[in-house]
Amino acid sequence: MKNNKLKILTNGIIRENPVLVLVLGTCPTLAISTQAINGLGMGISVLVVLTCSNIMISALKRIIPDTVRIPCYIVVIATFVTMVQLVLKAFVPALDKALGVYIPLIVVNCIILGRAEAFASKNSVVDSMLDGIGMGLGYMLTATVMACIRELLGNGTIFGKVITAGTITPFTIMIMAPGGFFVFGVLIAVVNKLTKGKVAEKCQNKCLGCPGAAFCSEVQKEGGEEA
Amino acid sequence: MADRHTDLIVASAPHVVAPADTARIMRDVVIALIPALAVSTYVFGARALLLTAVCAVFSVFFEWVTRKILKRSNTIGDWSAVVTGVILAFNLPVGIPLWMAVIGCFIAIVVVKQLFGGLGQNFANPAIVGRIALFIGFAGPMANWAITPRMSQAILSVAEQDAITGATPLAISAAGGTVPTNLEMFLGLINGSMGEISAAALLLGGIYLIVRKVISPAIPVAFLGTVAVLSLVFGLDPIFQLCAGGVMLGAIFMATDYVTSPITTPGRIIFGIGCGIFTMLIRVYASYPEGVSFAILLMNILTPHIDRLTRRKVFKPAEGGAK
Amino acid sequence: MGLSRHLKGVHVKHSKNTAGMPIIPMPVPERVYIPMVQHIGAPCTPVVKVGDTVKVGQLIGNSDQRISAPVHSSVSGTVEAITQGMTQYGRVDTSVVIKSDGKQELLDTVLPPEINSLEDFVKAVRNSGIVGLGGAGFPMSGKVNIKPGEVDVLVINGAECEPYITVDHAVMLSYTQDIIDGIRAVMKWLEIPQCHIGIESNKPDAIARFNELLAGDPAIKVHTLRQIYPQGAERVIIYETTGRIVSYGMIPWNVGCIVMNVTSVMKLQHFLRTGLPMVSRCMTVDGNVVLHPQNVDVPIGTPISDVLEFCGLKEEPKKILLGGPMMGRAVPRDDFAIVKANNAILCFNEAFAQQRKETACINCGRCVAGCPMGLMPAKISRAFKDKDIEALKELNVLYCMDCGSCSYSCPARKQLNFEIKQAKALVMEAKK
Repeated sequence: MKNNKLKILTNGIIRENPVLVLVLGTCPTLAISTQAINGLGMGISVLVVLTCSNIMISALKRIIPDTVRIPCYIVVIATFVTMVQLVLKAFVPALDKALGVYIPLIVVNCIILGRAEAFASKNSVVDSMLDGIGMGLGYMLTATVMACIRELLGNGTIFGKVITAGTITPFTIMIMAPGGFFVFGVLIAVVNKLTKGKVAEKCQNKCLGCPGAAFCSEVQKEGGEEA
Repeated sequence: MADRHTDLIVASAPHVVAPADTARIMRDVVIALIPALAVSTYVFGARALLLTAVCAVFSVFFEWVTRKILKRSNTIGDWSAVVTGVILAFNLPVGIPLWMAVIGCFIAIVVVKQLFGGLGQNFANPAIVGRIALFIGFAGPMANWAITPRMSQAILSVAEQDAITGATPLAISAAGGTVPTNLEMFLGLINGSMGEISAAALLLGGIYLIVRKVISPAIPVAFLGTVAVLSLVFGLDPIFQLCAGGVMLGAIFMATDYVTSPITTPGRIIFGIGCGIFTMLIRVYASYPEGVSFAILLMNILTPHIDRLTRRKVFKPAEGGAK
Repeated sequence: MGLSRHLKGVHVKHSKNTAGMPIIPMPVPERVYIPMVQHIGAPCTPVVKVGDTVKVGQLIGNSDQRISAPVHSSVSGTVEAITQGMTQYGRVDTSVVIKSDGKQELLDTVLPPEINSLEDFVKAVRNSGIVGLGGAGFPMSGKVNIKPGEVDVLVINGAECEPYITVDHAVMLSYTQDIIDGIRAVMKWLEIPQCHIGIESNKPDAIARFNELLAGDPAIKVHTLRQIYPQGAERVIIYETTGRIVSYGMIPWNVGCIVMNVTSVMKLQHFLRTGLPMVSRCMTVDGNVVLHPQNVDVPIGTPISDVLEFCGLKEEPKKILLGGPMMGRAVPRDDFAIVKANNAILCFNEAFAQQRKETACINCGRCVAGCPMGLMPAKISRAFKDKDIEALKELNVLYCMDCGSCSYSCPARKQLNFEIKQAKALVMEAKK
């Protein structure tokens, strides 16, 4: 039992990493991972919102009517996102400015909606919290690692600290869109190698993570209860 | 009764093949690039040779390593990596740090070619993507047209002092300066990327390729023709536009890359015209002085669609004309 | 509208080492193994029994089906056995084994046929046992069985575009008058007003001979064809000489044409003159291990090994082809019997026969530029790999006539023709 809880927590970090394995929420990840600080900030925001919304949705799962659950989830998530954004604006306005529209966009982030739909709405509050923390950590790690790599190669710095400047000319393309996709692809390959492709096999019904899964006939046919 | 011959080799017809195989074709391309390399060495000095050698060696090395890691058959024998390396080198300024050139080789061979499945599977010309990645990533060094000692000798002896401003003719032209004469442009006694300077040498290589039936003239003729016509339309000197920048190198050696250009002659003509139009549009209207590589990259991406639109007519009676 | 005046093709090295050589008759073999299927169409049933004595020209197999050709003994001797065994086509067929007595006595009923009408002519053609001698083996009686007026052009195929083979060339030089007489007989009885003879430009002496002997006959025109493979393919030669299009699913008759090979016409004329049916055929024996490359006249049913023994071998052959190197078939053993449709035996050593390593397609377009039928073999190959039947249909794969130009010209050494053959089978199966 305890083992099981630990597994829920660690699932999101590598084995079912939301970005690199489930391939959710790639748009904000690619967009903000130009600087390590942005990646970390975005990661923490998502971690907080995901954990809180998972707890809340799991707690409310019996009250929320099935037919209007997506709007309900969005209301819950939007509440936490607003709170996070207000905190950011108050204490780290520079970061808030750097992340810009991507903080409000967390509301419709696939990872959060996806976990709400696929996990929180079916599991206990504690499990959901652990899942939220695990998935949030997974996201945070990915975003931060990607951002570190891109910042180092593209700008010669990490967290704004000069590392290579003066010795190597920064390869600017790495902090542009092509570099983002390139690092993204390489990280996916690395995770695939680490998990030896087992994940892809196991997550046959990974489209459950998709917020549209409830409306998707394919998933219902397969009986989406396994997740 | 005669001796019995059993266990003979049975194979599907035809039992003879044309002499040209992939390796021979690629070797021909390398041979065709030699005149341009000779001119570049004359103008820029030994560093041109060094840059070419580094690019060729590292392209082959990256190809070998990637195939090894991916546990695929070894393909360095087909010479295609050499061609990519040499063409990439031709697209770089001669003074670029060598490690940057190696990064370009990595992008060309590993990212664009091998990760998409190797020879024949890449959607865009590896050398062009390598060049563009370097061009965007290392904007400074890639636009550093510093004059080498050898160069000042080679050019000063022929050209006027005006030509030696440490910039390419297209950049000079964009800035409104005095450009070299057309003869100097044609011969290649100008500044520019290492291999693109001499239109004459590149044309010589192109003629060799056409005579050896390695490339069909469709793409180069359509490309160069469009550039010439559009130059007149925009009121520019067509000879200057044809000899400046990478048009000759692009039209003869990069746009004609089999893998990323259409398979039929009408398709190749459309492809060539498209390259010419985009090149001139970028030169005239965009903020970059040169647009050949972007033009070819754009047309590379359109190639599958052009292929679909230009299927060959199958051998059957015309509609309604059947007897 | 659309199609160019000439069809595409590939330039293949001619290697016509035996050009200008006369046709030498081969000594009578010890035994002949005469297969009952030597043609496209219904198999024949043996009409002789073991122990029977037969003479040259005697009927030994026949069929009452419409598309078939009777089989005659090529030697005089005794029927030793009637066997079931694999023939060169890779099928198990009946063969009549005849032990030769070496006398080559002619059957006394062999007399020139008496022809007074079209019916007589068609019957005579049937009795001659002649099939298309260019390699396809379609019974000639099936071609001429028409109503007068249905066909207005006779196309005579003297292109001989396959490398190595020179036997049609030799026939055209040695039997020019016979060919012309044969053409005139066909035109007379089938009421065909005009004839086109197509000869590749690498045989100027044959073209000159015809022009000399025809002496300006307005009904028979000699066309000089370009030296480009596959000029001798039926569809191609019809298009090049008459401009008519025989597309997929059509036969020459659909566009008012009959195509005959020069050797077939020569054999027909010999039958009309002497009454001796098809008991031997001339063929080219060549290849880089053959000691004396030459054109020989071989009795039908002679094993390949006997022919090779006659011509001599420099070294052990590793690949033996029946027919030319572009479309001929490689046989696994050399004990198969020669049939009417074989126009060449080519033997090659190991270096030549070695399979070339296939590499990735580089999209060079040589296969597309060389396809006479206007197909895109590189795309077909890709669609075949995906087993995409819809795409294969869209690419008109069934129009392929297996000329092999695509495989020949492929720098990646891909066996495009082989893939297309399988793709065609795939599409045909899906149609059922």
